[in-house]
Amino acid sequence: MLRDITLGQYYPIDSVLHRMDPRTKLFGTMAYIVSLFIADSLPVYAAAALFLVIAIRMSKVPVKFMVRGLKSIVILLLISVSFNLFLTPGTTIFKIGFLQMTWEGVEFAALMAVRLIFLVLGSTILTLTTTPNQLTDGLEKSLGFLGKVGVPVHEVSMMMSIALRFIPILIEETDKIMKAQMARGADFETGNLIQKAKAMVPLLVPLFISAFRRATDLAMAMEARCYRGGDGRTKMKPLRYENRDRVAYAVCFVYLAAVIGMKIIL
Amino acid sequence: MGIIRAVNLIFDYIRHDEENDKEEINHALRGVSLDIEEGSFVAILGHNGSGKSTFAKLMNGILLPSDGTVYIADMKTNDEEHLWDVRKTAGMVFQNPDNQIIGNVVEEDVGFGPENMGVPTEEIWERVDKSLEAVGMTAYRLQSPNKLSGGQKQRVAIAGVMAMKPRCIVLDEPTAMLDPNGRREVIKTIHELNQQEGITVLLITHYMEEVIDADRVVVMDGGHVVMDGTPKEVFSKVNELKKYRLDVPQVTELADELKQAGMELPDGILTIEELVEELAAQLS
Repeated sequence: MLRDITLGQYYPIDSVLHRMDPRTKLFGTMAYIVSLFIADSLPVYAAAALFLVIAIRMSKVPVKFMVRGLKSIVILLLISVSFNLFLTPGTTIFKIGFLQMTWEGVEFAALMAVRLIFLVLGSTILTLTTTPNQLTDGLEKSLGFLGKVGVPVHEVSMMMSIALRFIPILIEETDKIMKAQMARGADFETGNLIQKAKAMVPLLVPLFISAFRRATDLAMAMEARCYRGGDGRTKMKPLRYENRDRVAYAVCFVYLAAVIGMKIIL
Repeated sequence: MGIIRAVNLIFDYIRHDEENDKEEINHALRGVSLDIEEGSFVAILGHNGSGKSTFAKLMNGILLPSDGTVYIADMKTNDEEHLWDVRKTAGMVFQNPDNQIIGNVVEEDVGFGPENMGVPTEEIWERVDKSLEAVGMTAYRLQSPNKLSGGQKQRVAIAGVMAMKPRCIVLDEPTAMLDPNGRREVIKTIHELNQQEGITVLLITHYMEEVIDADRVVVMDGGHVVMDGTPKEVFSKVNELKKYRLDVPQVTELADELKQAGMELPDGILTIEELVEELAAQLS
């Protein structure tokens, strides 16, 4: 189950989206998220779906691989859908006790689910086609102006990139510790919520200790390789806009304009 | 004068208690002097707690000596001014392959060192290509490090150091967490770098088999250098090695037992072939 999280995992394949400048992709994702939040009618959702399908196609990442990332949000999805189903006032379909399902609720829940799924898929495309290092490079460069007012942009982006690199390692480690504790009779499955939370303690303590140890080791390794902050660093893959980025920007602007236009008109 | 010179190194780990009073002093190194020649392959052997890892970390200024001096290519490691030159000259590979790979893609990780040094972009690519080639990992350059085996990860780490064009590499138990295959892979790679690129290698380990092909073996125990010589010289003293809780290679041990049982064999037999030859000569 822990291995199914694809968020933050790069899928190495050669595609237009993979080669695109991370800043472009960041902008595209932002535009897409904005469009999802202002979407409130079917045509807008259709446009969003189209945008998504085209992006997935262009990324050449297998759809199956992408959908696996959705498993991790199933619970969140169920909760928000059921809240919307039962707690939206309107024309009642049926009633159990104080819970009533309404037509408006059904509509709202469906749109909510679609919005969430699109949101996750959209951001997954970004992380699947962009190495975390490129991603942080992109963020560092786009937010570079903040450095002038004293925000440690380089440091923050370095931290993000390292965090992303260690997600799979720590997940694997969690799996290992879980199995080791289960072999000694730990029970993570049964009991109520409080008991389950308590059962997590013997999992989290060793995980934290090991994470700290890794952090010390990593800091040492980075210093040994002459890391001393962002000053004076050169880039192996400097960011440069190509024609495809200009096209992508244009497409994103057109898309965003279309969505806003539809919202105003419809 | 060698590329690495350690002069009378002393290193104490001091543990503080809550009131910041000195509580416990652990003498990791008690006066170690070593002179390592450029281009040589030197192995440092020692049991746990012998001070060998501490010694490694002193080599490129990750730790600074409590007393004594380390010279790397005639630069003092505790000279703030030369610190980065020292680290450029003496690269370091650590034990845990996962905890020293920074990049999320193999080639980006190899480029991390040169990026930090401010090498121009085109040259970074040249260095990355060359380093990956040297460790035989070119085919994996676009992979995520998480998908590699331990031995492959360690080779990537070595490539990462190579890309900084160091004159010597210090490897702190690089094979301790690897399976036998990975271990062989890594040791082979190090030997190739030593022979083909002429890089000085300082290999810290507690596996005997890895040091047989070294030019020089240094044995450490309790923070002192206790033996120093060619593998043949060191391994001929089986009893002394055992005193330092070190095993000798199986063949050497067998030869030693045979000798004690009355056979006439020379000291310091290191490989199976050698023993076979000697025995054949005896029996014919």
